[in-house]
Amino acid sequence: MWITSKFKQIVLALKPGRVTLGYPLTPRTAPENFRGRPAWDHTKCLGCGGCADHCPARTILLRDVCPEIRVLLYDGSRCTYCGRCAEICPEKAIVMTPDFELATGSRTDLAQSLELFMLTCSRCGRCYDMENRNAVDRLGLRGYRYDNLEARTVLRRTTERFEPDVLAATETFERPTRMEE
Amino acid sequence: MTQETLLQTLRAEFGAAVTGPDPAAPRRLLLDVERARLPEIARRLIALGARYQVGVGSDDRARGLGFGLIHLFAFDKSGFTTAIRTSAPAETPEFPSITPDIPVAGWTEREYRDLLGFRFPGHPKPKKLILADDWPDGIYPLRKEVPYNLVPPAAEDVAYQLDEAPPGTTMVPVGPFHSSLHEPAHFAVYVDGETIKGCDYRGFMTHRGIEKLCQTQVSYNEIPFVAERICGICGSVHATAYAQSVEEAAGLAVPRRAEFIRVLMLELERIHSHLLWLGVAGHLIGFDTVFMHAWRVREPVMWLSERITGNRKTYGMVVLGGVRRDISPETAEDIRSVLKKVEAEVLGLKAAILKDSLIHKRTKGVGHMPKAEAERWSLVGPVARARSIDIDARRDHPYAAYNELSFDVPTADSCDVWGTVLVRLLEVFESVKIMRQVLDKMPAGPILAAPQEALPAFRHGLSMVEAPRGESVHYVITGEENRPERWRVRAPTYTNLQGVPRMLLDNQFADFPIIVGSIDPCYSCTDRAVVVERGTGRERVWDRAELTTLSRAGGK
Repeated sequence: MWITSKFKQIVLALKPGRVTLGYPLTPRTAPENFRGRPAWDHTKCLGCGGCADHCPARTILLRDVCPEIRVLLYDGSRCTYCGRCAEICPEKAIVMTPDFELATGSRTDLAQSLELFMLTCSRCGRCYDMENRNAVDRLGLRGYRYDNLEARTVLRRTTERFEPDVLAATETFERPTRMEE
Repeated sequence: MTQETLLQTLRAEFGAAVTGPDPAAPRRLLLDVERARLPEIARRLIALGARYQVGVGSDDRARGLGFGLIHLFAFDKSGFTTAIRTSAPAETPEFPSITPDIPVAGWTEREYRDLLGFRFPGHPKPKKLILADDWPDGIYPLRKEVPYNLVPPAAEDVAYQLDEAPPGTTMVPVGPFHSSLHEPAHFAVYVDGETIKGCDYRGFMTHRGIEKLCQTQVSYNEIPFVAERICGICGSVHATAYAQSVEEAAGLAVPRRAEFIRVLMLELERIHSHLLWLGVAGHLIGFDTVFMHAWRVREPVMWLSERITGNRKTYGMVVLGGVRRDISPETAEDIRSVLKKVEAEVLGLKAAILKDSLIHKRTKGVGHMPKAEAERWSLVGPVARARSIDIDARRDHPYAAYNELSFDVPTADSCDVWGTVLVRLLEVFESVKIMRQVLDKMPAGPILAAPQEALPAFRHGLSMVEAPRGESVHYVITGEENRPERWRVRAPTYTNLQGVPRMLLDNQFADFPIIVGSIDPCYSCTDRAVVVERGTGRERVWDRAELTTLSRAGGK
């Protein structure tokens, strides 16, 4: 009977009352286990690069600027918040914070970078020689084989129409391979 | 029938044309067949009661094996699958087409025509399927020598040639962007007055190149997270299916507790997906009360997922060898209380809508497709079960912990959209039942047995997971560089969408959205395949300001 269905629908609609939440006027906190913006604790970080190695989005980049200084850059604009970095980290230097209100006009707001002082070998003076020789480098190798800090591997610029000069102006970004035109 | 009797039958009938089984796929019957006799053997398998799943094409030239093509068949009643493999020399990648006999193989063959440059003599519709219209001829992106990030120059003035309109009909375009479809897909619907007389489909506009990316760039344990992003709704299905196929190929044992937790997440996903679909279906027939309330009931499920996994969707639970997060006793209690609430609410929803004459009028007899036709088109999931085809991968090919759980597989015999509504609603209750059993029966123990050494190369693994919208098939051939050599994903929409033109036939044009909606289409799953596309050139580019002015002026 369609008419009883209509009554049931009225009950269905009235019973729960108002369910719309007051957010954002009423703040809402994320649950305990939430995977929000990851944060690095530089006092705990060893610089092993395991996070860069395992990041499915390749959003954690590593570079040794000299034998003593290793730079780690987290580019949050491409992060998928899978939490793999925090899980992998042997020193628990990464935690997934409950921060989720991350909308911003500038991608640098989401980035975090660490400059890590790496101990050098007292005998040879350089342990981290970018060669595939020691355990720490082997851990991180796969993470930065394709990436480096200057040429971030993303190119996404939106303009109202296609502008070849805008494209040309983005030369600092690595572009996908182009065929001979 | 068992794998052995099937093997004997095939050997007796085809003799030396069938060799194998290949030990690379120990649990599956992987047979090598003679290329010329492929259609015959495929036809025989169908006659023996097999259901065609999908084809897997691969580029094995680096190993001196030319090109390979594996067709997968499932024997649902007997609970096993078989794969027949053919190969062709690198210079002439030509395979006889099986599409005239098995229409649902049409897309597979067109896909490899585009991606690997195979030729299929005898294919009834050898048109582009996947690649952009302006993609240059002779570049086959899935071939190994083509880099994953290749971008060929765009071309102007090329367009897909739609099928010719049947005589006496007019073409109405639906899409590429249409308010009822939510995702890009282009249907050319041929109508005679209000009645649909035919339909051509041009989709695959959202390729993300996931298979190619994962075969060339990322490693085994990163792929579950990429796989999860194949689909926004049944992500856990794809992650689980991928992990299971690698585990099968490499012979990894998964702790029992992890398998139970995987089932828990899959069923939670099914509840949310069916409620989402119910809401969308209500919306498509203009019944927004259903939409609002189905989604209201669904919201606690999303919050529960967030509490269990840390995210509403893309749970990120599955890795090779197990799961990442355990279910604590408190979480189990939380799940029970949410299930109780959701079950009561869905009962109320069911009572309120199933007897509504409006829903009956808009769904009964709409999208009618008889059982025989549905079998011919290999429909899967609720779309098949609404046509009294009693298949469900959870029961027929048990994976994870399903062999220990008891549940019913609801079917309907109305063969129309109404049946799919009914089946999906009943499945929600079955999912609740399964989740309760999981919580009761889940053994204690570890949740992850991470692989300790490199996985063996060139082993085959197949996994079927019953997604909310039907059976998802993942096929993995393991590789040498810590990543698969070949990973083939077949989402359920890939087969169901091929049956849509038949479902639309002789229906009213106004019912188009709900008929397409009844398969719960997920274009991004289906389009997952290869290489980022660029839009086709248009004659005139409208910029945002112009479009805004135009829309405000009422189109003048």
